[in-house]
Amino acid sequence: MARPTLAYGQVAECARCGYELLRLRHRFVGPGLALVLAALLLYFPANFLPIMQLNLLGRVTDDTVWTGVLSLYRSDMQGIAFVVLLCSMVVPLLKLLCQFVVLLCIATRRAKSLGMLLYRTYHHLREWGMLEVYLLGILVSIIKLRDIAELSLGIGLACFAGLLVVQVWLELVMSPQQVWEALAEPVDARR
Amino acid sequence: MRRPNSIVRTWALLLSAALLYLPANLLPIMTVRMLGDGTPDTIMSGVVTLARHGMYPIAAVVFVASILVPTFKLIGIAMLLISVQRHHPMSAHQRLLVFRFIEWIGRWSMLDIFVIAILVAIVNFGSLASVEAGTGAVAFASVVVLTMLAAITFDPRLIWDNTESGNKHD
Repeated sequence: MARPTLAYGQVAECARCGYELLRLRHRFVGPGLALVLAALLLYFPANFLPIMQLNLLGRVTDDTVWTGVLSLYRSDMQGIAFVVLLCSMVVPLLKLLCQFVVLLCIATRRAKSLGMLLYRTYHHLREWGMLEVYLLGILVSIIKLRDIAELSLGIGLACFAGLLVVQVWLELVMSPQQVWEALAEPVDARR
Repeated sequence: MRRPNSIVRTWALLLSAALLYLPANLLPIMTVRMLGDGTPDTIMSGVVTLARHGMYPIAAVVFVASILVPTFKLIGIAMLLISVQRHHPMSAHQRLLVFRFIEWIGRWSMLDIFVIAILVAIVNFGSLASVEAGTGAVAFASVVVLTMLAAITFDPRLIWDNTESGNKHD
């Protein structure tokens, strides 16, 4: 089957099921860079500010993504601590950094081979970044803790949800076909 | 290029995951201590507790993510491997559906591990109340990671081999 040629802003959909096959955006580098920077700004408060606080008879504890890792590590569960660290903190950050450098390579039209290597790395990493699973984990924890003690939600949760939204949006903006094309074409990099 | 020894490697990862599957489900994944009294929770008992408190939707989500998905993954990957190796009557389309589903759903089993990380951090009131992670959690996390690795190691190109009269693989 031949690949349809699209004008900017057009979308090719499967005639039978309506699945989006190709989409050619006018600009993806600018919006992409804006979203990556927004995500990087949200990353630190999302991981280091309290997601929720628990109040039991006047004593208050709080939970951040990072203290979750730390508490597991301290209770002799280094293996699990490592997996949680990887899936909820390290891989999401690496993914964002890969996308950032790829967009920079396209914008400045330099180091395209580095961009290709990093974009390929990004695709291998994708599966191991589990922010959305973590968010569901937060929801389950909230429901489990509701009965035990007084629970209040923190600013970290808002940042975490924001980070997730920006990350999904970024994935929609950076369509793989256009990124690969821009990385492959030596002259016409689309801004 | 095909991934070398895909079938053998996938079997190795899958069998290790299958070995850990029993301790993952039978040993306590965490212990909740209130005033010194500890109640160990296995994966299934956690689901039952949620259901008993009337929280059926979330109990269903946890049940699917922690029990159905890992079980389906173990069986599904084994079926894919056997059907590729032994000319089992499974069409390429069926294999593809199984493979895509396994690839897409695998990560959601990490749910319980994240819940444990959150609870261990936040329920930390010394002797008053605390949550400790159990050995079952280690086994469970290993099952999830190993089955994800098995799904990655399985070469999707094998799906179109041996459907009608292809070559035999080992």
